[in-house]
Amino acid sequence: MDDLERQLKNALSRKQAPDWFEAKVLAAAARETKVPAAFWQRLMAGTRLRMASAVLASAAVLASGLAWQHERAVRERAEGEAAKAQLQLALKVTRVKLHKIEQKLDQMERN
Amino acid sequence: MKIACWLLIALFPAVAQELKLPPGIDKLADKATETVDVTMDQSLLQLASRFLSDKNPDEARAKKLVAGLKGVYVKSFEFEHPGEYDQSDVSMIRAQLKPPVWQRIVGVRSRKDGENAEVFLASDGNSVTGLAVICADPKELTIVHIVGQIKPEDLRDLGGNFGIPKFEIGANHKSDSKEE
Repeated sequence: MDDLERQLKNALSRKQAPDWFEAKVLAAAARETKVPAAFWQRLMAGTRLRMASAVLASAAVLASGLAWQHERAVRERAEGEAAKAQLQLALKVTRVKLHKIEQKLDQMERN
Repeated sequence: MKIACWLLIALFPAVAQELKLPPGIDKLADKATETVDVTMDQSLLQLASRFLSDKNPDEARAKKLVAGLKGVYVKSFEFEHPGEYDQSDVSMIRAQLKPPVWQRIVGVRSRKDGENAEVFLASDGNSVTGLAVICADPKELTIVHIVGQIKPEDLRDLGGNFGIPKFEIGANHKSDSKEE
């Protein structure tokens, strides 16, 4: 039992790291930060940004296109309805006048 | 030169059937108690036609009529007192509605009421290409000018055929002129 305790104490005791250890760790860390991102990673990052921009731009164009089309349809409908009303009024006046003339003719024929 | 002559001849009916209204006629609106002023060229007629329903019989008839038209112009003024418009304005319009393009098919004049109505048709020799109506009553002036192909049945739909079973446009055309 004492032997086991001694072995554990030895194993868990604080040991001074060798001199080269710190330098090796620092060198490894420095190397890791200097490694440039792989080409495809850079490409993908750029593509994602471009795609997001393109999607946003397309959505904006689509939205403004739809709004313009809606406004145009509303304007065209209003113009069309106004033109229809004008036409119906013109035909009504014509109809009334022609009818009146025909009635007058009939009345004259009877007399 | 020959081409120009042919072009002139070809365009003559279209130009001749144009009706120039007296320049001051729109000022009558200031005196009138009621005014109707409709000016529709072919593009406006086509736009209106797109909004006419095929299901509604009246609109379907109007749509059929409008299909052949190039213009519809109506000016109608109602006045409170007689003699508020100038008879020379009417004479100026009437002077343009002359043969060979225009034929007066109906003329009604009532000495008693002072009413005066005339119906003119323009033709290219084969078909009716225009209709003009002048109603010059003491307290009312109405000028209707319809440009384009008008079939007899369209005219009937408009208000009557004046007892003329089939329009025969040309030199032998019958003019129904009556005076009361």
